Amino acid sequence: MKRVGWWWLGFLARALEPPERDVVLGDLAESGAGFGQAMRDLLGLIVRRQIGLWTSWRPWLSLFGVCGLAGLSLSSIVFRLNVDLGKYLAHYLTDLTDRQEVAFFLCMSVALLVWSWTCGFVLGSLSGRAVWLTWTVFYFVVLDSAWARFVLAGNIILRNPRTHESLLDSLQGTLRLLTATTLPLSIAALLSLFPALFGAFVGVRWRILAVRHAYLIGSVNTALAILTTWATGWYDPAHQPLRWPGVPWSVRLLPFLLVSWPVAYLVATACRQRNEEAETT
Amino acid sequence: MLGEFEYLLLSAAARLGDGAYGAAIRREIEGATKRRCSIGALYTTLDRLEAKGLVRTWMGDPTPQRGGRQKRMVRVTGEGVQEAKAFYDAVSRASQGVSWAADRARGLS
Repeated sequence: MKRVGWWWLGFLARALEPPERDVVLGDLAESGAGFGQAMRDLLGLIVRRQIGLWTSWRPWLSLFGVCGLAGLSLSSIVFRLNVDLGKYLAHYLTDLTDRQEVAFFLCMSVALLVWSWTCGFVLGSLSGRAVWLTWTVFYFVVLDSAWARFVLAGNIILRNPRTHESLLDSLQGTLRLLTATTLPLSIAALLSLFPALFGAFVGVRWRILAVRHAYLIGSVNTALAILTTWATGWYDPAHQPLRWPGVPWSVRLLPFLLVSWPVAYLVATACRQRNEEAETT
Repeated sequence: MLGEFEYLLLSAAARLGDGAYGAAIRREIEGATKRRCSIGALYTTLDRLEAKGLVRTWMGDPTPQRGGRQKRMVRVTGEGVQEAKAFYDAVSRASQGVSWAADRARGLS
């Protein structure tokens, strides 16, 4: 087999645990199998291992809990921040002072960054080697679910009501839609998905944080949930000329709580590990 | 009760003795069955057998033939021997009086 073939096999074998990776590549080298055969063998083992991972509750919790529950809320927050940032392009006015404007965007941006990192970490920690699949689902849920909800509800239309021309009728329109639904092209999406990706990498490697780090992240998450609830309270009714109705604080807090539930898991696992270590010593 | 492939794997490992590891077991199975044995089936079955306590595995020394990579060595435990024997006895009993087994017995004698 050529060097490039071994490179591909080595790359694919990263889906396996390191000791097994070494053993399997050694077996393939010893068998003298051609590239095609070796690739089939390796893929067969990877598929079996991936299926095996889903016999545990952990990837399912990451799929439904992080991608579903937290991801949907995160998507709404990303969407909202994009709309709020859009006012600088659309030039619609608010009664907010400069200080309030800065405080609101700073608060939302930092919160989005921290929540996304936490979600990514817990996703990686729970999914382990199934992270490539759960991360992909998480990515598309965060990027597209809020848009999809608006499209399904009829608030966003993909067809021109006058000409009845659909966005999908032209190649250019289709490509525009494809890039918008697959690439993080907005500031808010970037603020969310890159920290989440980094968090997932760290989560796969570390699995569990030290208690003091978990407490720190827990405190930051809680503080940001309170701050964003407070900031959204004076942001909504300040829109001109049609003031958006004020929303009760409990309703405003709910999505922030949903998006920050993974921090509870993070703290719980850190505390459990500390207790287990204390029992063994 | 063992599965068919589990029995094949235990038999191959027992026959190889101290030289039992992934690639060697695979060759043995392919030689015995005249069919391809996938690495996926081999290692997932090996994990299952180890979880049941029928084999013990550990990492062996790397060899130049394997590009300096380690082997996963295998040893059949006492419990594994018992299970394989029980499977063989069951197959032998189930095969008594059937035409293909009788032909085989005549062929061997």
